[in-house]
Amino acid sequence: MALDTSIPVLVVDDYKTMIRIIRNLLKQLGFEDVDEAADGTEALGKMKERRYGLVISDWNMEPMTGYELLKQVRSDSSLSKTPFIMVTAESKTENVIAAKKAGVNNYIVKPFNAPTLKSKIEAVFGD
Amino acid sequence: MSDMSSEHVAKIIDFLRNGRKAEDVSLEDVMRLAELMAESFQSFFKTMDLAIYTELGEMAREIANMKEELALLRLSDMRDEHIPTAGRELDAIVEATEEATNTIMSAAEEIMAADAADTDAYQALVGEKVIDIFQACSFQDITGQRISKVVSTLNALDKRITTLVEKLKILRITDAAGNETEAEKRARELMLNGPQFKGEGVSQDDIDAFF
Repeated sequence: MALDTSIPVLVVDDYKTMIRIIRNLLKQLGFEDVDEAADGTEALGKMKERRYGLVISDWNMEPMTGYELLKQVRSDSSLSKTPFIMVTAESKTENVIAAKKAGVNNYIVKPFNAPTLKSKIEAVFGD
Repeated sequence: MSDMSSEHVAKIIDFLRNGRKAEDVSLEDVMRLAELMAESFQSFFKTMDLAIYTELGEMAREIANMKEELALLRLSDMRDEHIPTAGRELDAIVEATEEATNTIMSAAEEIMAADAADTDAYQALVGEKVIDIFQACSFQDITGQRISKVVSTLNALDKRITTLVEKLKILRITDAAGNETEAEKRARELMLNGPQFKGEGVSQDDIDAFF
C-alpha cells in the first residue's frame, strides 16, 4: 500500500533549522501539507484546532517538552489516536522506554537521514 | 588555668561550707560570693585571652599568606577577561554555524526547486550553488580555532581551581549536599539528558529492535 502523503503533518521543534530539514525531507517524500510548532504548548494548541495525520516531535523543548506533549496527546480522547514519532538527540535507554510506555509510535535518534525518516513513517502506517 | 583558679575555688567552697542558712545570708555574703566568683573567672579569662590572642595572630598570618597565594593565581583575570572571552567565542561559534547552515540549506533548496528541463541553466545554477556550499563550509576552520581557544581557557581554569583547592587545603572537606534547583528537578523528571557521546547512548538499530 502506498504511503498517503496527503495527510497534514505537524513538525514540533524549537530549532528552526531542524524544522527546515524535516520539512525538506518530508517534501522529498511527497508530503506537502506540513505545519510547524516551536514547542509542546504551541503544538497542543494547533492540534486542538486541526486534525493532523502525523506528529513528528523533538523531546527537549521549553516550556512543554515533546514527552509532555506525547502524554497530553495520549490522555486526550480526541487526539489520542494521532500517530506520533519522536525525533530527538535524547538517546538514553530510559528516554526510549519512557516514550514507548507513553505511547509513542516510533523513535528516531538525531542525527538521522532521509531513509530512516521514511522507514519510520512507513512503519507507523503499516507499509 | 586550673592551678590559678583552684585557690579561688577553694575559697568559694569554704564560703559555702560555713553552713549559712538562707535566712542568715546577708547582702554582704552575696557580694563576697560574687567577688570570689569574679576573681576565679578573671584568672580563667586571663589564660584564655592569651591563647585566643595567639590563635588569632596565627590566623591573621595564615589569611595574609593565603591572599598572597590567591593573588598569584590571577583569579580576577579569569573572571574579567578569560571567561567572558570564552563566552563570546561560543556565541560566535553558534552564530557562524547557524549562518553556514542557512547558506547551505538555501543553496540546496534552490537546487531542489530548480527546473532541470533547461539543462544549461540548471547546470549553471547547480555549479554556482555548489560553490556557495563549499564557501559556507569554511566556517569549520574558524570555529575550530575558536573552540581551541575555549578549550585552552577551560584547561587554565581547571589548573587554577586545582591549585586553589590544594592551597586552601579543602580536599578533605566533604562537599555539602546541595539542594536540587527547579531546573535540575525538571531535567531529572523529564529526562532531559541531552545528546550522548558516541557509543554511549542506544543506537537506532537497538531502538528499532525494541519497537
